[in-house]
Amino acid sequence: MEERVVLSKKFKLLTYVLIGIGVLSFALGFVFDAKRTWANYLLNNYYFVSLAVGAAFFGAIQYITQSGWSAMFKRVPEALASYFPYAAGFFVLMYFGMHSIYEWTHDEVVQHDHLLQFKSPYLNIPFFFIRVVVFFALWIVMSRLLRKLSLQEDEHGGMEYFKKSERYSKIFIFIIAFSFSLFGVDILMSLEPHWYSTLFAGKSFIAGLLHASSIMALIVILLSKQGYYKQLNGSHLHDFTRYIFMASIVWGYFNFAEFMLIWYGNIPEETVWFVKRWEGTYKILFFVNIILNWAVPFLVLMPRKSSRSKMIILPVVLLLIIGQYTELYYIIWPATVHEAKFGLLEIGTFLGYAGLFAWVVGTALTKASLVPKNHPYLQESIHHHF
Amino acid sequence: MSKKYILGVFNDEATLVDAFEKIKAKGILPTEVYTPYPIHEILEGMGKKTRITHAAFFYGLFAAVGILSFLTYAAVIDWPLHYGGKPFNAFPSFIVVTIVATILSITLLTLFTFSARAKIFPGKKADIFHERATDDKFVIVLDPEKLGDNAKAVEEIIREHGEVE
Repeated sequence: MEERVVLSKKFKLLTYVLIGIGVLSFALGFVFDAKRTWANYLLNNYYFVSLAVGAAFFGAIQYITQSGWSAMFKRVPEALASYFPYAAGFFVLMYFGMHSIYEWTHDEVVQHDHLLQFKSPYLNIPFFFIRVVVFFALWIVMSRLLRKLSLQEDEHGGMEYFKKSERYSKIFIFIIAFSFSLFGVDILMSLEPHWYSTLFAGKSFIAGLLHASSIMALIVILLSKQGYYKQLNGSHLHDFTRYIFMASIVWGYFNFAEFMLIWYGNIPEETVWFVKRWEGTYKILFFVNIILNWAVPFLVLMPRKSSRSKMIILPVVLLLIIGQYTELYYIIWPATVHEAKFGLLEIGTFLGYAGLFAWVVGTALTKASLVPKNHPYLQESIHHHF
Repeated sequence: MSKKYILGVFNDEATLVDAFEKIKAKGILPTEVYTPYPIHEILEGMGKKTRITHAAFFYGLFAAVGILSFLTYAAVIDWPLHYGGKPFNAFPSFIVVTIVATILSITLLTLFTFSARAKIFPGKKADIFHERATDDKFVIVLDPEKLGDNAKAVEEIIREHGEVE
């Protein structure tokens, strides 16, 4: 069953070109409009780390539920999780842009603001970075541990590695749920430190799972088009789309619940966030966000036939990729750039990150046999059928 | 039950599926198969596809549109009232009621549809082909009129592993 991915020269070249575009966009961006470039930097950092976290969470769930169907594909979430060290580097480098992004880092603002003074024991630069470093350390250590066990299982076989992985996964989901919730609050919600929403963490968490599962489906479909994963059948695809379907419903529910309660409560401290986002372009984005992340997957993936068809899953996944960008843009731009600017800078930086992410994930996929060898559920996965 | 059927009774899944495939290979579709748990081969082999999911979807659509229009009619057109400075068309708050009531409508309507299609109603006397079909036996029910000349051959297939009653 040894089957290794070989990255084609075209693919490598493409990722290098994309990374080049990204570097160029950032370089030009910092020269001409530093504030907006930092916002882009933040958005892309968060975008891709949410995919890695969602994938790590997905992988851990598969161990805990002892899922048979996904055993064949477990290298994909592992590969996505290998992005953590790069993301950690990017987030630490954000130190240099803190003042352009976060209002609470300005001492003179905090001095005249009672609420920010009250929050300053938590929201201050040293503690912020301590948290970022601790979260990334936890994610890297845990995902490396699971990866190591998975590779050892390939070599030696036996149930021992699976049982260990299951035990670590049980710890891992708690770590992810707790740390990524705080992470979302730190990185995104503290952009507007006067506003708070208790649902925000849950929403950003489920958005990570939603978009990670769509990216995983995309990678699996692309690999199968290249001739890998020959045993891929409609039932596997159906299970991937179930994750997308489920997460998009939960996301839609959270998004609506957050909005509806704030709208109905009508407390100025809370509504201010939405009032800002109810003008001009942002108002369009509010609806585009709901359509792309909830309505499209919900309606399109509902029939059994369409959730098993590559031709239907691919466009849905591409729309979801835009959907996550829309949501983050909708959260970040009104708080940092204050204008709905969208141009070559945004496209270029996103392409750069996408190239880097594709390169990291692709390289990680080549490092081990694409189909795990001694996974106890491997046969069940290959013959998966319902 | 006045009509007579041929029953094949089996002890386990493998022999049942084996006999089922052989009977199907002869071009005969059993009237019904009773198993203690769902078996993929039988589900597909019987070739019965459910359309109840489509029915449920349209009930849901109907209910959602109906309830939303009722709420709009009641709160906006027929009897507008001020609630804490909200606009008459308090659309976001209608959605909660719509979701809950839609789920209820789907559940009830699908239940009634299923009962009507399966000819089940409260107090109905159950048609039991074989006493242990509800226990741990696997039972194939065949209509002897449809078997024609193959009756002997089918009995032999069943006798390989099971028993004929």
